[in-house]
Amino acid sequence: MFGKGLLKGLSITIKRLYGPNLTEYYPEVKPILPTRTRSSMVLEPEKCISCGLCINACPNQVIILTSEKDEKNKKVLQTYHMNMGRCLLCGLCTEACPTKALKLCQVYENAVYHRQELLWDMIARSKQANISSGKVE
Amino acid sequence: MMIEGTQEYSLNMGPQHPSTHGVFRMVVHLDGEVVTKVEPKIGYLHRGLEKMAESRTYTQFIPYTDRLDYLAGPHNSLGYVQAVEKLMDTEVPERAEYLRIIFAELGRIASHLVMIASGSLDISGWTPWSYCFRDRERILDLFEMTAGNRMTPNYFRIGGVSQDVPEEFMPALKSFLEDMPEMIEEYYGIFFGNEIAQSRMKSVGILPKELAENLLITGANLRASGVQYDVRKAEPYGIYDRFDFEIPVLYGCDTYDRHFIRLLEIQESKKIIEQAYKDIPAGPVMTKVPKVLKPPVGKVYHRVENPKGEMGWYIVSNGSTKPARVRIRTGAFVNVQMLPEIVKGWKIQDLVTIFASMDLVLGEVDK
Repeated sequence: MFGKGLLKGLSITIKRLYGPNLTEYYPEVKPILPTRTRSSMVLEPEKCISCGLCINACPNQVIILTSEKDEKNKKVLQTYHMNMGRCLLCGLCTEACPTKALKLCQVYENAVYHRQELLWDMIARSKQANISSGKVE
Repeated sequence: MMIEGTQEYSLNMGPQHPSTHGVFRMVVHLDGEVVTKVEPKIGYLHRGLEKMAESRTYTQFIPYTDRLDYLAGPHNSLGYVQAVEKLMDTEVPERAEYLRIIFAELGRIASHLVMIASGSLDISGWTPWSYCFRDRERILDLFEMTAGNRMTPNYFRIGGVSQDVPEEFMPALKSFLEDMPEMIEEYYGIFFGNEIAQSRMKSVGILPKELAENLLITGANLRASGVQYDVRKAEPYGIYDRFDFEIPVLYGCDTYDRHFIRLLEIQESKKIIEQAYKDIPAGPVMTKVPKVLKPPVGKVYHRVENPKGEMGWYIVSNGSTKPARVRIRTGAFVNVQMLPEIVKGWKIQDLVTIFASMDLVLGEVDK
């Protein structure tokens, strides 16, 4: 009978109409992402040994760091910048980091108004409480 | 036939047309509403991935492979990492092999769901679209909890996978597999069994078997034209030879069959994942590979069955840390050439449906 398929489709839709609601009320309700989600980067400067392995692992030359040698001839981190305009958030830098100073985090509201703001000063960012905790407030 | 005093009209469709599924442009020659000729224009999403591979190390190129067919990221990486492993003669741990199969097949289901969804949307069926995307979301959640990203998971590594699955992955996968029969029934009830959808798609855009073979069409488009060919069976890679599954084949050669075969393939992928879920052993997920990869001088060709067609990776190594040449054979790129052949004589509304049935992803076409 022509139209049987249409009626069946309608019955499915009506059944679903009384099902659970699946949509999220973002931005009023902010979702909590899984702990492995790669949506932002966070650095713990005191753990960084300025070895430069993250620079070598990066496919896109995102990371720029400078360091100085102290009296014990040990490297001390001076500046750490990430050019997020080029970053794929692939996580290869965090896999290469021997001290786990560089980590991925779940802060996902990263939009900025100007291109210059995409150059993240990771040392300054690490002092922002909401980012260092790695969670959206 | 042209009426005297009228002339052929040429219309640019795309690159920003919603039904071209990306940035595909076609110059459509029209006689009234009837399509007389179509010229595909590609290259709007060209990123030079083959050249990029030459300036990056073997590991650094893995995130880019996800961006070829961005609807089924894992399967592209699978082809690439297996090609490099073949070149280096690397063994992969058992658990990693099973995880790769699970991810690749989940990616195939996700890709086919998008295809069915956008196919229905192109004939104004909004509800099936939202149902397919609802279920695809669950697959993307599985990717996200394991690998950290939804569409570009960057999960596979040369010699295994980046990390083991979290505790909550296996229960979530099980509940997804349990819900799948109901989902498939819903898609059938709401889209494939719908008479309006059937009358829009049946006997439209015929791709005969001989033409499909001559044009080197691969993937589900070929199987909907009556050729039972799948790389997973013809030349099993990874551990595909251990699983019991069928290669669905349909003989209608039309738009409807090209959509419907995707639903059948989802069911076969489900079978594979169920077997992998049952048999997956415990153990390491990564073999010992040197930090700096230097494959021996040589070349390798490896092919896999991507959701869009056959994908081939040709890698030439000169013994350094970076490949000397990478050539990517993608299914969607070759499948574009069927478009001008099968749309001739159909109306412009049918062109949209026929184009949707080809399941092109412009990331793969333009590379």
